[in-house]
Amino acid sequence: MNSVVVKSKDVTLLEILDRVLDKGVIISGDVVISVADVDLIYLGLKVLLSSVETMEKLRGSPFVSPMQEAK
Amino acid sequence: MKLYLYGIVDSSDQISESIYGLEGAGVYNIPYCDIGAVVSETGKPIRGVTEGAVLEHEAVIEKLMANFTVLPVRFQTIIDSRDNLLSMMQSYHKDFKDNLARLHNKLEFGIKVIWPAEKIKANIIKGFKKSKQKNPEPNSSQSKKFIAEKFEEYKIEKEFQAKADKFIKVMDIFFSKFASEKKLTKLKTENLLLDAVYLVEKSQEGNFREAFEHIKGGPPGLKYLFSGPWPAYNFVILSKQSGLLTDLQQTDILDKVTQCQALVGANSI
Repeated sequence: MNSVVVKSKDVTLLEILDRVLDKGVIISGDVVISVADVDLIYLGLKVLLSSVETMEKLRGSPFVSPMQEAK
Repeated sequence: MKLYLYGIVDSSDQISESIYGLEGAGVYNIPYCDIGAVVSETGKPIRGVTEGAVLEHEAVIEKLMANFTVLPVRFQTIIDSRDNLLSMMQSYHKDFKDNLARLHNKLEFGIKVIWPAEKIKANIIKGFKKSKQKNPEPNSSQSKKFIAEKFEEYKIEKEFQAKADKFIKVMDIFFSKFASEKKLTKLKTENLLLDAVYLVEKSQEGNFREAFEHIKGGPPGLKYLFSGPWPAYNFVILSKQSGLLTDLQQTDILDKVTQCQALVGANSI
């Protein structure tokens, strides 16, 4: 996703990851094929998510998703 | 063909604009009664969690948000067939309907507040030292000193927590005025004073943003992170933890789908 431009917007990549990997509708059971171990990745990411230092670094240069950029 | 699921929407109509999802695949709506599951077809092995894939997933949800109420589905949710998708929809139908109704016309906003924890603790300690100088303790035994030290640590922590509560309470009064639901986490880390998400009616978005600007102008030394609008990721409540249905149940569902179609006048499933 090279088209993602770093811009001064309200949304940070960490905020997106926090929501997309761990929130919303989580369907359990055999019906879902799990191709990547999202749970495990999110666990690792949790440390990053609560790290104020990381957020501070991103504060000056948050990422925007393609849609938000187009608005 | 496997189906990559992005979200559940409050419509059984087809998506009017062209939306492309992961791997550039076309996104479409599979109706179930009066709601729909937004998917794209996937045949190739899916790549892992990459920044690009996460952003593509999120971009689809944001596009859907413009026209529908959306229940965003977690990244990398792949259903192995259309029949299984429909059985899942049947199984969660009430939950999805309840959530779609509750979250209709509402947006999620995230607020993080960072405070200088070390400085605040130092100020508390300074205050305690001053009061100690005024009322010096008589010479006491080692064990009494140890207990006194532990008690002081406890008092510092208690005061620190009380200050956090006070700040959060003031901020929350402003935000709550314009929010219909909220989730607040205090001191996730010592510096992260508040990690909050608020669910706000679309009509209140301007007021909510104004409240944030007002809070930002408050005490110096605090830093604020604002994000949104998001679909209501943090406010989806599922009562059902369901899995795959039996063959018999699936047949039953397909019958029910046909009945639903007739009721809502959908063209095809």
